[in-house]
Amino acid sequence: MKKVVNIVYNNMHSIYRIIKFSLQDLGRNFGLSTMTVFILILMLLSVNVLWGVDILTKQATSLVKEQINISLYFKAETTDKNLEEVQKYLSVLPEITEMNLVTRDQVLDSFKNRHKLSSEVLSALEELKENPFGPTLIIKTREPQDYKKILQAVDVPEYDALIETKSFEGNEEGIEKIQNITNRIEKIGFGLSALFAIISFLIIFNTIRVSIYTQRIEISIKRLVGASSWFIRGPYMVEAFIFALLSVSITFGLIYLALHFLDPYLSIVFSNGFTLTNYYNSHIILLTGIQFVSVLLLTFISSGLAMRKQLKV
Amino acid sequence: MIKLEGVTKIYSTDSIGLRNINLHIKAGEFVSIVGQSGTGKTTLVRLLIAEERPTKGKIVIGDWDVTEIPSGEIPYLRRQIGVIFQDFKLLPKKTVYENVSFALEVAGEKSEHIKKIVPQVLDVVGLGEKMWRYPKQLSGGEQQRVAIARSLVHRPKIIIADEPTGNLDSLNTVEIIEILKKINEFGTTILLATHNREIVNELRRRVITLRGGEIVSDEESGKYRL
Repeated sequence: MKKVVNIVYNNMHSIYRIIKFSLQDLGRNFGLSTMTVFILILMLLSVNVLWGVDILTKQATSLVKEQINISLYFKAETTDKNLEEVQKYLSVLPEITEMNLVTRDQVLDSFKNRHKLSSEVLSALEELKENPFGPTLIIKTREPQDYKKILQAVDVPEYDALIETKSFEGNEEGIEKIQNITNRIEKIGFGLSALFAIISFLIIFNTIRVSIYTQRIEISIKRLVGASSWFIRGPYMVEAFIFALLSVSITFGLIYLALHFLDPYLSIVFSNGFTLTNYYNSHIILLTGIQFVSVLLLTFISSGLAMRKQLKV
Repeated sequence: MIKLEGVTKIYSTDSIGLRNINLHIKAGEFVSIVGQSGTGKTTLVRLLIAEERPTKGKIVIGDWDVTEIPSGEIPYLRRQIGVIFQDFKLLPKKTVYENVSFALEVAGEKSEHIKKIVPQVLDVVGLGEKMWRYPKQLSGGEQQRVAIARSLVHRPKIIIADEPTGNLDSLNTVEIIEILKKINEFGTTILLATHNREIVNELRRRVITLRGGEIVSDEESGKYRL
Protein backbone atom coordinates (compact mmCIF):
# COMPACT_ATOMS: atom_id res chain seq x y z
CA MET A 1 0.00 0.00 0.00
CA LYS A 2 2.82 2.36 0.98
CA LYS A 3 4.58 1.48 -2.29
CA VAL A 4 1.47 2.37 -4.31
CA VAL A 5 1.08 5.66 -2.44
CA ASN A 6 4.75 6.44 -3.17
CA ILE A 7 4.32 5.68 -6.90
CA VAL A 8 1.21 7.90 -7.08
CA TYR A 9 3.03 10.65 -5.15
CA ASN A 10 6.07 10.44 -7.44
CA ASN A 11 3.92 10.52 -10.58
CA MET A 12 1.91 13.50 -9.33
CA HIS A 13 5.17 15.20 -8.45
CA SER A 14 6.57 14.53 -11.93
CA ILE A 15 3.39 15.87 -13.57
CA TYR A 16 3.58 18.99 -11.39
CA ARG A 17 7.24 19.49 -12.42
CA ILE A 18 6.45 18.94 -16.09
CA ILE A 19 3.70 21.59 -15.96
CA LYS A 20 6.06 23.92 -14.07
CA PHE A 21 8.83 23.44 -16.66
CA SER A 22 6.44 23.99 -19.56
CA LEU A 23 5.14 27.25 -18.08
CA GLN A 24 8.71 28.34 -17.38
CA ASP A 25 9.73 27.51 -20.96
CA LEU A 26 6.74 29.40 -22.36
CA GLY A 27 7.60 32.49 -20.34
CA ARG A 28 11.34 32.36 -20.99
CA ASN A 29 10.89 31.65 -24.70
CA PHE A 30 8.16 34.27 -24.98
CA GLY A 31 9.16 35.42 -28.47
CA LEU A 32 9.21 31.89 -29.88
CA SER A 33 5.95 30.97 -28.10
CA THR A 34 4.23 34.09 -29.45
CA MET A 35 5.45 33.36 -32.97
CA THR A 36 4.21 29.77 -32.76
CA VAL A 37 0.75 30.84 -31.55
CA PHE A 38 0.65 33.59 -34.20
CA ILE A 39 1.37 31.11 -37.01
CA LEU A 40 -1.21 28.68 -35.65
CA ILE A 41 -3.79 31.51 -35.58
CA LEU A 42 -3.00 32.43 -39.19
CA MET A 43 -3.38 28.81 -40.22
CA LEU A 44 -6.67 28.43 -38.33
CA LEU A 45 -7.99 31.68 -39.78
CA SER A 46 -7.23 30.39 -43.30
CA VAL A 47 -9.04 27.14 -42.54
CA ASN A 48 -12.03 29.03 -41.14
CA VAL A 49 -12.19 31.38 -44.12
CA LEU A 50 -12.32 28.32 -46.37
CA TRP A 51 -14.88 26.73 -44.08
CA GLY A 52 -17.00 29.90 -44.14
CA VAL A 53 -16.82 30.14 -47.93
CA ASP A 54 -17.88 26.49 -48.17
CA ILE A 55 -20.86 27.11 -45.86
CA LEU A 56 -21.89 30.20 -47.82
CA THR A 57 -21.59 28.32 -51.12
CA LYS A 58 -23.71 25.47 -49.82
CA GLN A 59 -26.24 27.92 -48.42
CA ALA A 60 -26.37 29.84 -51.71
CA THR A 61 -26.78 26.71 -53.85
CA SER A 62 -29.49 25.34 -51.56
CA LEU A 63 -31.26 28.70 -51.80
CA VAL A 64 -31.08 28.51 -55.60
CA LYS A 65 -32.31 24.92 -55.49
CA GLU A 66 -35.20 25.95 -53.25
CA GLN A 67 -36.29 28.50 -55.83
CA ILE A 68 -36.77 25.74 -58.38
CA ASN A 69 -40.02 23.83 -58.32
CA ILE A 70 -42.39 22.07 -60.65
CA SER A 71 -46.00 23.16 -61.00
CA LEU A 72 -48.68 20.84 -62.28
CA TYR A 73 -51.63 22.88 -63.56
CA PHE A 74 -54.74 20.75 -63.50
CA LYS A 75 -57.77 21.26 -65.70
CA ALA A 76 -60.74 23.09 -64.17
CA GLU A 77 -62.92 19.99 -64.23
CA THR A 78 -60.46 17.93 -62.13
CA THR A 79 -62.27 16.56 -59.12
CA ASP A 80 -60.96 16.46 -55.56
CA LYS A 81 -60.85 12.68 -55.82
CA ASN A 82 -58.60 12.90 -58.90
CA LEU A 83 -56.36 15.32 -57.07
CA GLU A 84 -56.12 13.12 -54.01
CA GLU A 85 -55.21 10.20 -56.23
CA VAL A 86 -52.39 12.13 -57.91
CA GLN A 87 -51.08 13.39 -54.57
CA LYS A 88 -51.19 9.89 -53.11
CA TYR A 89 -49.38 8.54 -56.14
CA LEU A 90 -46.64 11.20 -55.93
CA SER A 91 -46.24 11.08 -52.16
CA VAL A 92 -44.54 7.67 -52.33
CA LEU A 93 -41.74 9.06 -54.48
CA PRO A 94 -38.67 9.55 -52.22
CA GLU A 95 -37.33 12.39 -54.38
CA ILE A 96 -40.21 14.69 -53.37
CA THR A 97 -39.56 16.82 -50.28
CA GLU A 98 -42.64 19.03 -50.38
CA MET A 99 -46.03 19.21 -52.15
CA ASN A 100 -48.36 22.17 -51.91
CA LEU A 101 -51.81 22.22 -53.38
CA VAL A 102 -53.22 25.55 -54.52
CA THR A 103 -57.01 25.22 -54.76
CA ARG A 104 -59.07 26.63 -57.64
CA ASP A 105 -60.31 29.50 -55.46
CA GLN A 106 -56.78 30.36 -54.35
CA VAL A 107 -55.61 30.34 -57.98
CA LEU A 108 -58.49 32.65 -58.90
CA ASP A 109 -57.74 35.00 -55.99
CA SER A 110 -54.10 35.07 -56.91
CA PHE A 111 -54.95 35.83 -60.55
CA LYS A 112 -57.30 38.63 -59.53
CA ASN A 113 -54.70 40.06 -57.23
CA ARG A 114 -52.07 40.03 -59.95
CA HIS A 115 -54.35 41.80 -62.38
CA LYS A 116 -56.15 44.13 -60.01
CA LEU A 117 -55.02 47.14 -61.99
CA SER A 118 -56.20 45.71 -65.30
CA SER A 119 -59.97 46.27 -65.51
CA GLU A 120 -60.14 44.58 -68.93
CA VAL A 121 -58.79 41.31 -67.61
CA LEU A 122 -61.07 41.43 -64.59
CA SER A 123 -64.21 42.20 -66.67
CA ALA A 124 -63.31 39.33 -69.05
CA LEU A 125 -63.15 37.07 -66.04
CA GLU A 126 -66.55 38.35 -64.85
CA GLU A 127 -68.07 37.46 -68.19
CA LEU A 128 -67.03 33.82 -67.81
CA LYS A 129 -69.35 33.54 -64.77
CA GLU A 130 -67.42 30.62 -63.35
CA ASN A 131 -63.86 29.98 -62.21
CA PRO A 132 -61.90 28.99 -65.33
CA PHE A 133 -58.80 27.86 -63.39
CA GLY A 134 -57.96 24.40 -62.23
CA PRO A 135 -55.97 23.64 -59.07
CA THR A 136 -52.18 23.71 -59.10
CA LEU A 137 -49.81 21.27 -57.41
CA ILE A 138 -46.37 22.75 -56.55
CA ILE A 139 -43.67 20.13 -56.04
CA LYS A 140 -40.19 20.49 -54.61
CA THR A 141 -37.54 17.79 -54.85
CA ARG A 142 -34.25 17.03 -53.10
CA GLU A 143 -32.06 17.70 -56.11
CA PRO A 144 -32.78 19.57 -59.35
CA GLN A 145 -32.13 16.46 -61.45
CA ASP A 146 -34.99 14.70 -59.62
CA TYR A 147 -37.50 16.76 -61.58
CA LYS A 148 -37.01 14.53 -64.58
CA LYS A 149 -38.20 11.55 -62.57
CA ILE A 150 -41.29 13.42 -61.39
CA LEU A 151 -42.10 14.44 -64.94
CA GLN A 152 -41.72 10.86 -66.09
CA ALA A 153 -43.91 9.71 -63.20
CA VAL A 154 -46.82 11.98 -64.20
CA ASP A 155 -46.34 11.37 -67.90
CA VAL A 156 -48.97 8.61 -68.02
CA PRO A 157 -52.14 8.56 -70.16
CA GLU A 158 -54.61 8.73 -67.23
CA TYR A 159 -52.98 11.92 -65.93
CA ASP A 160 -52.71 13.51 -69.39
CA ALA A 161 -56.46 14.00 -69.26
CA LEU A 162 -56.16 15.80 -65.90
CA ILE A 163 -53.04 17.93 -66.30
CA GLU A 164 -53.33 21.02 -68.42
CA THR A 165 -49.68 21.95 -68.38
CA LYS A 166 -46.41 21.53 -66.47
CA SER A 167 -44.39 24.66 -65.77
CA PHE A 168 -41.04 22.96 -65.50
CA GLU A 169 -40.28 21.89 -69.05
CA GLY A 170 -38.98 25.26 -70.19
CA ASN A 171 -36.50 25.47 -67.27
CA GLU A 172 -34.87 22.10 -67.79
CA GLU A 173 -31.70 23.51 -69.33
CA GLY A 174 -31.28 26.11 -66.60
CA ILE A 175 -31.71 23.51 -63.87
CA GLU A 176 -29.03 21.31 -65.41
CA LYS A 177 -26.64 24.27 -65.53
CA ILE A 178 -27.24 25.04 -61.87
CA GLN A 179 -26.69 21.40 -61.04
CA ASN A 180 -23.40 21.39 -62.96
CA ILE A 181 -22.22 24.58 -61.27
CA THR A 182 -23.05 23.32 -57.77
CA ASN A 183 -21.33 20.00 -58.48
CA ARG A 184 -18.21 21.82 -59.63
CA ILE A 185 -18.25 24.16 -56.63
CA GLU A 186 -18.46 21.14 -54.32
CA LYS A 187 -15.53 19.48 -56.09
CA ILE A 188 -13.43 22.68 -55.97
CA GLY A 189 -14.34 23.06 -52.28
CA PHE A 190 -13.20 19.52 -51.56
CA GLY A 191 -9.95 20.04 -53.49
CA LEU A 192 -9.26 23.33 -51.68
CA SER A 193 -9.98 21.73 -48.31
CA ALA A 194 -7.54 18.90 -49.06
CA LEU A 195 -4.91 21.41 -50.20
CA PHE A 196 -5.42 23.50 -47.05
CA ALA A 197 -5.18 20.40 -44.87
CA ILE A 198 -1.80 19.56 -46.40
CA ILE A 199 -0.56 23.17 -46.13
CA SER A 200 -1.78 23.36 -42.52
CA PHE A 201 0.05 20.17 -41.61
CA LEU A 202 3.25 21.46 -43.19
CA ILE A 203 2.94 24.84 -41.44
CA ILE A 204 2.35 23.27 -38.03
CA PHE A 205 5.05 20.66 -38.57
CA ASN A 206 7.64 23.25 -39.55
CA THR A 207 6.64 25.71 -36.83
CA ILE A 208 7.01 23.08 -34.14
CA ARG A 209 10.17 21.71 -35.74
CA VAL A 210 11.78 25.17 -35.69
CA SER A 211 10.69 25.57 -32.08
CA ILE A 212 12.21 22.20 -31.10
CA TYR A 213 15.30 22.77 -33.26
CA THR A 214 16.15 25.97 -31.38
CA GLN A 215 16.04 23.97 -28.17
CA ARG A 216 17.95 20.93 -29.44
CA ILE A 217 21.02 21.60 -27.28
CA GLU A 218 18.87 21.95 -24.18
CA ILE A 219 17.12 18.67 -24.97
CA SER A 220 20.44 16.84 -25.30
CA ILE A 221 21.71 18.40 -22.04
CA LYS A 222 18.56 17.26 -20.24
CA ARG A 223 19.13 13.80 -21.62
CA LEU A 224 22.77 13.80 -20.45
CA VAL A 225 21.87 14.72 -16.87
CA GLY A 226 19.51 11.76 -16.67
CA ALA A 227 16.10 13.06 -17.74
CA SER A 228 13.85 10.36 -19.15
CA SER A 229 12.24 10.79 -22.58
CA TRP A 230 8.88 11.32 -20.91
CA PHE A 231 10.31 14.04 -18.66
CA ILE A 232 11.70 15.83 -21.72
CA ARG A 233 8.64 15.31 -23.95
CA GLY A 234 6.17 16.20 -21.18
CA PRO A 235 6.69 19.99 -21.13
CA TYR A 236 6.43 20.10 -24.93
CA MET A 237 3.14 18.22 -24.74
CA VAL A 238 1.80 20.67 -22.16
CA GLU A 239 3.04 23.54 -24.35
CA ALA A 240 1.28 21.99 -27.35
CA PHE A 241 -1.94 21.89 -25.31
CA ILE A 242 -1.54 25.56 -24.33
CA PHE A 243 -0.66 26.54 -27.93
CA ALA A 244 -3.75 24.74 -29.23
CA LEU A 245 -6.00 26.28 -26.56
CA LEU A 246 -4.67 29.81 -27.09
CA SER A 247 -4.67 29.67 -30.89
CA VAL A 248 -8.21 28.26 -31.14
CA SER A 249 -9.56 30.74 -28.54
CA ILE A 250 -7.96 33.77 -30.20
CA THR A 251 -8.98 32.58 -33.68
CA PHE A 252 -12.63 32.22 -32.67
CA GLY A 253 -12.52 35.60 -30.96
CA LEU A 254 -11.29 37.13 -34.22
CA ILE A 255 -13.88 35.19 -36.25
CA TYR A 256 -16.77 36.47 -34.12
CA LEU A 257 -15.38 39.98 -34.41
CA ALA A 258 -15.24 39.66 -38.22
CA LEU A 259 -18.73 38.14 -38.37
CA HIS A 260 -20.11 41.07 -36.42
CA PHE A 261 -19.24 43.24 -39.44
CA LEU A 262 -19.98 40.64 -42.12
CA ASP A 263 -23.40 39.40 -41.06
CA PRO A 264 -25.37 42.58 -41.93
CA TYR A 265 -24.20 42.15 -45.54
CA LEU A 266 -25.07 38.44 -45.54
CA SER A 267 -28.58 39.10 -44.27
CA ILE A 268 -29.18 41.18 -47.42
CA VAL A 269 -28.07 38.28 -49.65
CA PHE A 270 -29.77 35.51 -47.70
CA SER A 271 -33.40 36.41 -47.31
CA ASN A 272 -34.07 33.29 -45.23
CA GLY A 273 -32.36 34.87 -42.23
CA PHE A 274 -29.15 32.85 -42.48
CA THR A 275 -26.12 34.37 -40.72
CA LEU A 276 -22.68 32.94 -40.14
CA THR A 277 -22.85 33.98 -36.47
CA ASN A 278 -25.90 31.75 -36.01
CA TYR A 279 -24.13 28.96 -37.85
CA TYR A 280 -21.01 29.28 -35.65
CA ASN A 281 -23.16 29.55 -32.50
CA SER A 282 -25.05 26.37 -33.30
CA HIS A 283 -21.88 24.45 -34.26
CA ILE A 284 -19.44 26.02 -31.79
CA ILE A 285 -18.58 22.83 -29.88
CA LEU A 286 -18.06 20.83 -33.07
CA LEU A 287 -16.00 23.56 -34.77
CA THR A 288 -13.78 24.41 -31.81
CA GLY A 289 -13.49 20.73 -30.86
CA ILE A 290 -12.37 19.59 -34.31
CA GLN A 291 -9.91 22.44 -34.67
CA PHE A 292 -8.52 22.08 -31.14
CA VAL A 293 -8.05 18.32 -31.46
CA SER A 294 -6.51 18.71 -34.95
CA VAL A 295 -4.00 21.35 -33.82
CA LEU A 296 -3.19 19.33 -30.69
CA LEU A 297 -2.67 16.09 -32.60
CA LEU A 298 -0.62 17.76 -35.32
CA THR A 299 1.51 19.51 -32.68
CA PHE A 300 2.02 16.27 -30.74
CA ILE A 301 3.00 14.36 -33.88
CA SER A 302 5.25 17.17 -35.15
CA SER A 303 7.06 17.61 -31.83
CA GLY A 304 7.39 13.83 -31.46
CA LEU A 305 8.95 13.52 -34.91
CA ALA A 306 11.17 16.58 -34.45
CA MET A 307 12.41 15.39 -31.06
CA ARG A 308 13.24 11.83 -32.06
CA LYS A 309 16.76 12.75 -33.17
CA GLN A 310 17.59 14.76 -30.03
CA LEU A 311 16.30 12.04 -27.72
CA LYS A 312 18.69 9.48 -29.18
CA VAL A 313 21.57 11.04 -27.19
CA MET B 1 33.85 0.04 -10.02
CA ILE B 2 34.58 0.64 -13.73
CA LYS B 3 35.65 -2.25 -15.94
CA LEU B 4 36.36 -2.22 -19.67
CA GLU B 5 37.14 -5.51 -21.41
CA GLY B 6 38.38 -5.47 -24.99
CA VAL B 7 36.43 -2.33 -25.83
CA THR B 8 36.68 -1.17 -29.42
CA LYS B 9 34.77 1.65 -31.08
CA ILE B 10 34.84 1.90 -34.85
CA TYR B 11 33.03 4.83 -36.50
CA SER B 12 34.04 3.92 -40.04
CA THR B 13 36.84 1.96 -41.71
CA ASP B 14 39.16 4.96 -41.57
CA SER B 15 37.94 6.31 -38.22
CA ILE B 16 38.61 4.13 -35.21
CA GLY B 17 37.83 5.73 -31.83
CA LEU B 18 39.19 3.08 -29.48
CA ARG B 19 41.06 -0.19 -29.97
CA ASN B 20 40.89 -3.11 -27.56
CA ILE B 21 40.78 -1.14 -24.31
CA ASN B 22 41.18 -3.15 -21.11
CA LEU B 23 40.86 -1.11 -17.96
CA HIS B 24 39.91 -1.48 -14.32
CA ILE B 25 39.29 1.55 -12.11
CA LYS B 26 38.70 0.94 -8.42
CA ALA B 27 36.32 2.88 -6.18
CA GLY B 28 37.81 6.12 -4.82
CA GLU B 29 40.54 6.43 -7.44
CA PHE B 30 41.45 9.69 -9.18
CA VAL B 31 42.40 8.69 -12.71
CA SER B 32 43.60 11.01 -15.44
CA ILE B 33 43.11 9.90 -19.04
CA VAL B 34 45.59 11.81 -21.14
CA GLY B 35 46.45 12.06 -24.78
CA GLN B 36 46.44 14.50 -27.63
CA SER B 37 43.25 15.57 -29.37
CA GLY B 38 41.63 12.76 -31.31
CA THR B 39 43.22 9.95 -29.30
CA GLY B 40 39.88 8.66 -27.98
CA LYS B 41 39.47 10.41 -24.60
CA THR B 42 36.04 11.82 -25.45
CA THR B 43 35.01 8.56 -27.10
CA LEU B 44 35.80 6.77 -23.85
CA VAL B 45 33.68 9.27 -21.88
CA ARG B 46 30.79 8.92 -24.32
CA LEU B 47 30.91 5.13 -24.01
CA LEU B 48 30.93 5.32 -20.21
CA ILE B 49 27.77 7.45 -20.10
CA ALA B 50 26.11 5.31 -22.80
CA GLU B 51 25.99 8.20 -25.23
CA GLU B 52 27.47 5.72 -27.69
CA ARG B 53 27.72 1.94 -27.76
CA PRO B 54 31.02 0.06 -28.28
CA THR B 55 31.48 -1.88 -31.50
CA LYS B 56 33.08 -4.69 -29.50
CA GLY B 57 33.83 -5.45 -25.86
CA LYS B 58 32.14 -4.99 -22.52
CA ILE B 59 31.78 -2.01 -20.16
CA VAL B 60 30.65 -2.49 -16.58
CA ILE B 61 30.03 0.37 -14.11
CA GLY B 62 29.06 -0.82 -10.66
CA ASP B 63 26.16 -3.20 -11.24
CA TRP B 64 25.41 -1.85 -14.71
CA ASP B 65 26.47 -3.65 -17.86
CA VAL B 66 26.59 -0.50 -19.96
CA THR B 67 27.13 -2.50 -23.16
CA GLU B 68 23.77 -4.22 -22.86
CA ILE B 69 21.84 -1.45 -21.12
CA PRO B 70 18.34 -0.91 -22.58
CA SER B 71 17.76 2.68 -23.74
CA GLY B 72 14.97 3.10 -21.17
CA GLU B 73 17.48 2.52 -18.36
CA ILE B 74 20.13 4.96 -19.61
CA PRO B 75 18.64 7.91 -17.64
CA TYR B 76 18.91 5.84 -14.44
CA LEU B 77 22.60 5.09 -15.18
CA ARG B 78 23.30 8.77 -15.83
CA ARG B 79 21.72 9.72 -12.52
CA GLN B 80 24.41 7.59 -10.82
CA ILE B 81 27.27 9.31 -12.65
CA GLY B 82 28.17 12.98 -12.51
CA VAL B 83 29.46 14.30 -15.81
CA ILE B 84 31.36 17.54 -16.38
CA PHE B 85 31.92 18.76 -19.94
CA GLN B 86 34.40 21.17 -21.48
CA ASP B 87 31.56 23.36 -22.78
CA PHE B 88 29.71 23.20 -19.41
CA LYS B 89 26.43 22.09 -20.99
CA LEU B 90 24.27 24.29 -18.80
CA LEU B 91 20.63 25.01 -19.62
CA PRO B 92 20.76 28.66 -20.75
CA LYS B 93 17.14 29.47 -19.87
CA LYS B 94 17.46 28.18 -16.32
CA THR B 95 19.10 29.92 -13.38
CA VAL B 96 22.11 28.48 -11.55
CA TYR B 97 19.78 27.08 -8.88
CA GLU B 98 17.44 25.58 -11.48
CA ASN B 99 20.31 24.02 -13.43
CA VAL B 100 21.50 22.22 -10.33
CA SER B 101 18.04 21.31 -9.04
CA PHE B 102 17.08 19.94 -12.47
CA ALA B 103 19.41 16.97 -11.96
CA LEU B 104 17.49 16.12 -8.79
CA GLU B 105 14.06 16.88 -10.22
CA VAL B 106 14.51 14.44 -13.11
CA ALA B 107 15.41 11.79 -10.53
CA GLY B 108 12.14 12.46 -8.67
CA GLU B 109 13.72 13.89 -5.51
CA LYS B 110 11.36 15.58 -3.07
CA SER B 111 11.09 19.37 -3.30
CA GLU B 112 11.96 19.87 0.39
CA HIS B 113 15.21 17.94 -0.08
CA ILE B 114 16.03 19.91 -3.25
CA LYS B 115 15.43 23.24 -1.51
CA LYS B 116 17.80 22.19 1.25
CA ILE B 117 20.60 20.49 -0.68
CA VAL B 118 21.03 22.76 -3.73
CA PRO B 119 22.09 25.90 -1.82
CA GLN B 120 24.50 23.75 0.23
CA VAL B 121 26.17 22.33 -2.88
CA LEU B 122 26.33 25.78 -4.47
CA ASP B 123 28.05 27.04 -1.31
CA VAL B 124 30.62 24.23 -1.67
CA VAL B 125 31.54 25.44 -5.18
CA GLY B 126 31.40 29.09 -4.03
CA LEU B 127 28.30 30.16 -5.92
CA GLY B 128 25.81 30.48 -3.06
CA GLU B 129 25.55 34.20 -3.72
CA LYS B 130 24.88 33.81 -7.43
CA MET B 131 22.27 31.07 -7.47
CA TRP B 132 19.56 33.21 -9.13
CA ARG B 133 21.75 34.31 -12.01
CA TYR B 134 21.56 32.82 -15.48
CA PRO B 135 24.62 31.03 -16.97
CA LYS B 136 25.33 33.89 -19.39
CA GLN B 137 25.71 36.22 -16.39
CA LEU B 138 28.62 34.10 -15.07
CA SER B 139 32.28 33.76 -16.05
CA GLY B 140 33.60 30.56 -17.65
CA GLY B 141 35.06 29.36 -14.37
CA GLU B 142 31.81 30.03 -12.55
CA GLN B 143 29.82 28.21 -15.21
CA GLN B 144 32.08 25.18 -14.82
CA ARG B 145 31.56 25.31 -11.07
CA VAL B 146 27.80 25.21 -11.68
CA ALA B 147 28.37 22.13 -13.85
CA ILE B 148 30.38 20.57 -11.02
CA ALA B 149 27.62 21.39 -8.54
CA ARG B 150 25.09 19.77 -10.87
CA SER B 151 27.23 16.65 -11.21
CA LEU B 152 27.73 16.51 -7.43
CA VAL B 153 24.26 17.23 -6.18
CA HIS B 154 22.90 13.70 -6.40
CA ARG B 155 26.00 12.34 -4.60
CA PRO B 156 27.26 10.13 -7.42
CA LYS B 157 29.89 7.46 -6.79
CA ILE B 158 31.67 8.43 -10.01
CA ILE B 159 32.37 11.78 -11.61
CA ILE B 160 33.57 11.84 -15.21
CA ALA B 161 35.13 15.11 -16.30
CA ASP B 162 35.81 15.55 -20.02
CA GLU B 163 38.35 18.37 -20.49
CA PRO B 164 36.71 20.40 -17.67
CA THR B 165 39.39 23.07 -17.83
CA GLY B 166 39.65 23.25 -21.61
CA ASN B 167 37.84 26.59 -21.80
CA LEU B 168 39.28 28.12 -18.63
CA ASP B 169 42.23 30.33 -17.73
CA SER B 170 44.99 29.02 -15.41
CA LEU B 171 43.49 30.51 -12.24
CA ASN B 172 40.08 28.94 -12.83
CA THR B 173 41.77 25.70 -13.88
CA VAL B 174 43.50 25.42 -10.52
CA GLU B 175 40.23 26.16 -8.70
CA ILE B 176 38.32 23.47 -10.61
CA ILE B 177 41.00 20.85 -10.01
CA GLU B 178 41.06 21.72 -6.31
CA ILE B 179 37.29 21.17 -6.15
CA LEU B 180 37.65 17.80 -7.91
CA LYS B 181 40.40 16.79 -5.49
CA LYS B 182 38.18 17.67 -2.54
CA ILE B 183 35.32 15.64 -3.99
CA ASN B 184 37.71 12.70 -4.42
CA GLU B 185 38.79 12.99 -0.79
CA PHE B 186 35.19 12.23 0.21
CA GLY B 187 35.45 8.90 -1.66
CA THR B 188 34.05 9.74 -5.07
CA THR B 189 35.85 8.14 -8.00
CA ILE B 190 37.08 10.76 -10.45
CA LEU B 191 37.86 10.11 -14.08
CA LEU B 192 39.50 13.14 -15.64
CA ALA B 193 40.05 13.26 -19.39
CA THR B 194 42.50 16.03 -20.18
CA HIS B 195 45.45 17.10 -22.27
CA ASN B 196 46.64 19.64 -19.73
CA ARG B 197 50.18 18.61 -18.79
CA GLU B 198 50.46 20.86 -15.68
CA ILE B 199 47.32 19.50 -14.08
CA VAL B 200 48.33 15.87 -14.53
CA ASN B 201 51.86 16.40 -13.30
CA GLU B 202 50.69 18.32 -10.27
CA LEU B 203 48.08 15.70 -9.32
CA ARG B 204 50.57 12.78 -9.08
CA ARG B 205 47.77 10.25 -9.36
CA ARG B 206 47.08 7.34 -11.74
CA VAL B 207 47.60 8.33 -15.38
CA ILE B 208 46.38 6.37 -18.38
CA THR B 209 47.83 7.52 -21.68
CA LEU B 210 45.97 7.02 -24.93
CA ARG B 211 47.48 7.17 -28.39
CA GLY B 212 45.61 6.34 -31.58
CA GLY B 213 42.75 4.87 -29.56
CA GLU B 214 45.00 2.48 -27.62
CA ILE B 215 46.32 2.52 -24.05
CA VAL B 216 50.08 3.04 -24.31
CA SER B 217 50.77 3.41 -20.60
CA ASP B 218 49.00 3.04 -17.27
CA GLU B 219 50.97 4.33 -14.26
CA GLU B 220 49.81 4.38 -10.64
CA SER B 221 51.52 7.69 -9.90
CA GLY B 222 52.28 8.92 -13.30
CA LYS B 223 53.16 12.00 -15.24
CA TYR B 224 52.03 13.40 -18.55
CA ARG B 225 54.16 11.63 -21.17
CA LEU B 226 53.49 11.59 -24.90
